[in-house]
Amino acid sequence: MRYTAFTSYDIVLLAQGLGVSLALFLATTIIGLLLGSLWAIIRFYRVPVLMQIVTVFAELLKNSPVLVQLFLVFFGLPAFARLNVTPVEAAVITLSGNTAAFVYVIAVSAIESIGRDQIEAARVSGLSRWQVLRHIIAPQAMAFAIGPLTGLLVNQLQVTSLISVIGVVDLTKIGNILNLRTLKPFIVWAIVGGLYYVMAKLVAFGGATLEKRLRAHTAWKGL
Amino acid sequence: MTFDLTILAPHIPFLVKGAVLTAEACVLALAGSLCIGTIVAALVTSASPVLSRIAYIYVDLFRNIPFIVQLFFFFYGLPEIGIYVNAFATGVIALSIAGGAFTSDVIRSGILSIDPGILEAAEVSGLSKPTIFRKIVMPIALRTSVRPLGSVFINLILTSSILSTITLNELTGSAKIVASDTFRPFEIYAVLLVAYASLTYLVSLAIGALHRYLNRDQTEAA
Repeated sequence: MRYTAFTSYDIVLLAQGLGVSLALFLATTIIGLLLGSLWAIIRFYRVPVLMQIVTVFAELLKNSPVLVQLFLVFFGLPAFARLNVTPVEAAVITLSGNTAAFVYVIAVSAIESIGRDQIEAARVSGLSRWQVLRHIIAPQAMAFAIGPLTGLLVNQLQVTSLISVIGVVDLTKIGNILNLRTLKPFIVWAIVGGLYYVMAKLVAFGGATLEKRLRAHTAWKGL
Repeated sequence: MTFDLTILAPHIPFLVKGAVLTAEACVLALAGSLCIGTIVAALVTSASPVLSRIAYIYVDLFRNIPFIVQLFFFFYGLPEIGIYVNAFATGVIALSIAGGAFTSDVIRSGILSIDPGILEAAEVSGLSKPTIFRKIVMPIALRTSVRPLGSVFINLILTSSILSTITLNELTGSAKIVASDTFRPFEIYAVLLVAYASLTYLVSLAIGALHRYLNRDQTEAA
């Protein structure tokens, strides 16, 4: 016997998928932001060897499909290095790395937008390297980067849908399950798409609010 | 475990077949998304508030919903309304529609960057609106947006790997088959990663050259 009708339990399923998608998105965003900024700092201080590795690695990650990266980590690593990776671990590794590669590009251009003369002036005034990074570079770079970062995060939110392919039960996977059970693709995929749309809008709204706050000091206040 | 690429040698023709399918899908989708993008950009920048509103909603929706969800919507949904097309056609349609949303944004900003004086001059010269659009607006807008269009195209190539989820054996799909045949997933996916990266690098070089060629008579160095 087949139960093709929608039940109230489907809402729980959808909510569960939404939770998994959101949790993975938040986790990989935080890891990606930290990792990407670290790479940018490596590049800023021109650390030899490491800098070249980071550049090549980021280029590779940026210019290849996330799906292939996912397969490489999920199917490749266990076969190659005899490491057991669960779908969720593979998803976290891949998405964090991918986000980091894009964050790296944004962070590098944000740091470059500041100008070395400011940094030299700060160093001459007796600030330590860490203080320069903390009080001179970071605040200005953040204000510069927040716009592109918001765009990136909206994009990365959509990229999380790919992890359903390796078996993570996220929102898209739930959509697939519901679709195969109810055979009503239009309703199911419209609901799933709608949920993603709302999440993307929330991320964009959050980014815009944050940008307004970070740029408050440069805003035109009137005469 | 050793990293042995020679194991892939017998499977190269099969992979090349997949790459050709990827190329076909990408070129068709590029043409499709350019058509859709141009029309939508014309609607967004048009004087009619209703049309520009509708076009804006289209762009907003398809930019903010994951491609894989759109793809499943079409793949499972089209047969429901009596349209039976194969996976390749479905993939190209979905790619064109999603790509069209991004393309229209690029072309729109190209159109908006045109100096209004040029349009006024054209109107004063007595050119009709369609003529102005075809002969003046589009050439300028397309020429200035070659580079951003190129990055949309590169994104399209990367996105086309998702078509492997609807049973279409393009490059990623064939690689999946080879990986399960040889049980050497690490080698095959590593090669695939480098292949995609070099392919998109070549495309970006070509786009840079095209941009310089189209803007060769421009005096300011871009």
